[in-house]
Amino acid sequence: MKLSRRAFLRAGGLAMVSYGMDPLFLARAVYAKPGASSRGRVLVCLFQRGAVDGLSMLVPHGDARYYKERPNIAIPEASVIDLDGRFGFHPALAPLKPLWDAGQLAPIHAIGSPDPTRSHFDAQDYMESGTPGVKSTSDGWLNRFCQHQREHEQTPFRAVSFGPELPRILAGSAPSLAIGDLRAFGLRAPNDAARDRLTRAFEALYEKAPTGLLASSAQEGFEAANTLRRIEPDRYQPEHDARYPNGRFGQSLLQIAQLIKADVGLEIAFADVSGWDTHVNQGAAQGQLATRLGDFAQALAAFAQDLGERMNDVVLVTCSEFGRTIAENGSIGTDHGRATAMMVMGGAVKGGRVLGRWPGLEPAARFEGRDLAVTTDFRDLFAELLDRHLGAGSLDAVFPGRTADPTRYLGALRA
Amino acid sequence: MNIAATPRYACGRLASSVLATLGMLALAVISPPAGAATAASRPSPPAHSALTASDSALHVLQRFAYGPRAGQVAEVAREGALAWLDSQLAADGRDDPRLAAIERRTPALALDPEDWARRFAAARRAKREGMAGEERAEVRELTGQVRALVIARAVTAEDQLREVMAGFWFDHFNVFLDKGADRYLLPGYVEDVIRPRALGRFEDLLLATAQSPAMLFYLDNVKSVAPGMQPARRGDPAKPARRPVGINENYARELLELHTLGVDGGYTQQDVIAVARILTGWSMQPPAQGGAFVFRPRAHDFGEKVVLGARFPAGHGEEEGVRLLRMLARHPATIRHVCEKLCARFVSDQPPDGCVDAAVGAWRASDGDMRAVVRAIARTPEFWDEQAIGSKVKTPLEFVVSAVRAVGAEPDSGARLADAVARLGQPIYRQASPAGYPERQEDWANSGALLARMNFAVALAAGRQPGASVDLDAILPVTIENSALVDAVNERVLGGAMSAHTRSVIVAELADVPDPVRGRALAVGLALGSPEFQRQ
Repeated sequence: MKLSRRAFLRAGGLAMVSYGMDPLFLARAVYAKPGASSRGRVLVCLFQRGAVDGLSMLVPHGDARYYKERPNIAIPEASVIDLDGRFGFHPALAPLKPLWDAGQLAPIHAIGSPDPTRSHFDAQDYMESGTPGVKSTSDGWLNRFCQHQREHEQTPFRAVSFGPELPRILAGSAPSLAIGDLRAFGLRAPNDAARDRLTRAFEALYEKAPTGLLASSAQEGFEAANTLRRIEPDRYQPEHDARYPNGRFGQSLLQIAQLIKADVGLEIAFADVSGWDTHVNQGAAQGQLATRLGDFAQALAAFAQDLGERMNDVVLVTCSEFGRTIAENGSIGTDHGRATAMMVMGGAVKGGRVLGRWPGLEPAARFEGRDLAVTTDFRDLFAELLDRHLGAGSLDAVFPGRTADPTRYLGALRA
Repeated sequence: MNIAATPRYACGRLASSVLATLGMLALAVISPPAGAATAASRPSPPAHSALTASDSALHVLQRFAYGPRAGQVAEVAREGALAWLDSQLAADGRDDPRLAAIERRTPALALDPEDWARRFAAARRAKREGMAGEERAEVRELTGQVRALVIARAVTAEDQLREVMAGFWFDHFNVFLDKGADRYLLPGYVEDVIRPRALGRFEDLLLATAQSPAMLFYLDNVKSVAPGMQPARRGDPAKPARRPVGINENYARELLELHTLGVDGGYTQQDVIAVARILTGWSMQPPAQGGAFVFRPRAHDFGEKVVLGARFPAGHGEEEGVRLLRMLARHPATIRHVCEKLCARFVSDQPPDGCVDAAVGAWRASDGDMRAVVRAIARTPEFWDEQAIGSKVKTPLEFVVSAVRAVGAEPDSGARLADAVARLGQPIYRQASPAGYPERQEDWANSGALLARMNFAVALAAGRQPGASVDLDAILPVTIENSALVDAVNERVLGGAMSAHTRSVIVAELADVPDPVRGRALAVGLALGSPEFQRQ
């Protein structure tokens, strides 16, 4: 690949003139194998911030207790899109049904964190650090994967988060990029000549900066901006009549698809979507949550549609910090609970099945007599995806405190 | 000694090798002035400091202010770096007409907590009733003013140290603007809890935050009640009770982990539970009744508790919480934890032990008086060590404010500079995590944000940044002589921090810019976007 070779040479040249380089950047350059084609596999991680109600996404419509506990907000049997006789999609998830039918999508029920906190920030923090119960972890598990899996094409686009800030899950010493909008990334100038000039000047300013982190970050930024100019993000047209919903989340998925197709070496993509904290007036087949889920499902379906065959290289996983109470509350909503539902989607997914062990809704089976119990540790799902899809070498460093054990994998992916 | 290996930008006009030689021979002890070391327990200036008077001035302005105003380095160099800091420490509500004008033009500041509560309740009612809602627009506008005020004060205030400390304590006792009632509680929290105590005693600050509805709501203490407590039923008795019955550990845990002892402060889960029980009943009135702090005996757990081995006998109410907070404020782990954070803020991301020890010593001697602690930190050899000079990456807020100050720009009353800070990755008052915004360079030096900083720098210098009016004529004459121009930019805008490399790049870039006004803007834009200006 041209890009990796160029980056490699640049890093080598820099190393000679600048003693204070970020060691990681150099290390990466050493480990990178210019010319060795990456397998082009991508993991897309989507975070539903605010704790999505798993029992509304994946409805246990075969369980009378579900209807008893939710007199106002249960999804009526007639509206549920049945999947396997026991569970069904919320009607707003209809755009995902074809993916289920094609065996490219598998929901996981009763999944969550071993830590019982019902605090949004604690639970999000743990799901992103990958170390439930341990607050002092400074980096995120997706970043640790990049730190320990160095044999990857040298590219600033290896790990990209779509949003203005780098999320906790990608924080850490491995370089990763936060992009609010591909079309606005890079230096701004009234015309191309002025931008080239400005870029050249700033590149020169940072090239010799004896400040490892700033120098390497700036270099990556310029690389990324140059590459983006080449792929012309403002001219992108989704393929196969894919229609992304308006709004930030739909646009994030569109841009992820675009980067995947541009072959810039994207391996990890992250985006988040909020609005799931439905304490009040959650709604049922229609309403507040239905609207959010509809938008969510449309975006995922458009993404799969747009990528077409490329979905064979892509696994998309959704996650959320915890689920919500089994019983509806006094405000026709739900409060913070324990387990929720997640989904995996992609060509490599062994879909058309609901994964995970269902603990049931009986009071005795609940966590603290109240919430859906967690039967799958979220780390086991993520570990399977890193291991089987991205070929992670050592998972012990990615999820310290959870010894990697393939027997705990859910079998979400084809062997 | 390998110069290239050492990040060092305060070399100013001296060639690096010359400075290094001076440093090795320990010859040129020019500043900080010895006479300024009065109340400190440590000697000052440290014998090995080789900084010039203006480099010393730049260093204190980078750390104890939001960077120098255009030309301020020379003023402080004349006064003496530590003398300037002492005057900042002594400052007590001095006349500051520019700051006063900014506060006057901010209607949100005139509202008291009851006004905020009333407006918030009206906005919530409008939302419930599905109204488009002038009330909601009004609350949005008011919180915009509150965010804008952070920038305007940091840019303008003569008492820079107070602004820096207020920012530090807000991060330490972080509250999240977008969490429910905190939309209206936060402004009062900033004005009445944090700012008046920014240079006060830690214990007072801790107590005030613990009795602030903003904090109690943010960390769910308002939901924490004695186990078995039966809440008063309102409305339909057939509906299930919404309120969780029992303690909520959220505030108790963060109080120990973040506000006081630190994550390795030696407490257990049993301590967290006991702290939560002690603080049951620390709550707030509903917004419609003003939303003030209130202690609710009905919700309080009157049983016996033990925290860190100290017994809290049964039968006590609010006062046992106060006793607990006083105990935590004086705990050695708390003092060390907070001093480490202060040294990370003022000296180095990895705070040197010597500096932390000095801060701890000053804390003990002064019973946690922040003026004494800051004074002590500024007089440690570690603060003046060449490893520390220019070693910290600015946060997005520090970058934007220091850039606006450096070019002598005036912030307007709108929120567009605050929006710019948000786009660089640090939305003001919108950090959801109770840990506040981080201090380490790894958290801020990501590539996308760095390019965005360069864009901000160029736009600001060209007068195209919304929210700030810039008049470069006031700080830099238009000149056709590029070399002189860049020297003036270095002195007036970068406070002498420009490296020889940066200087040569900017001079080269100016070579074919015929228009001196455009050339000046380009030079300033490149300087503000340079690696030097990302550091402090």
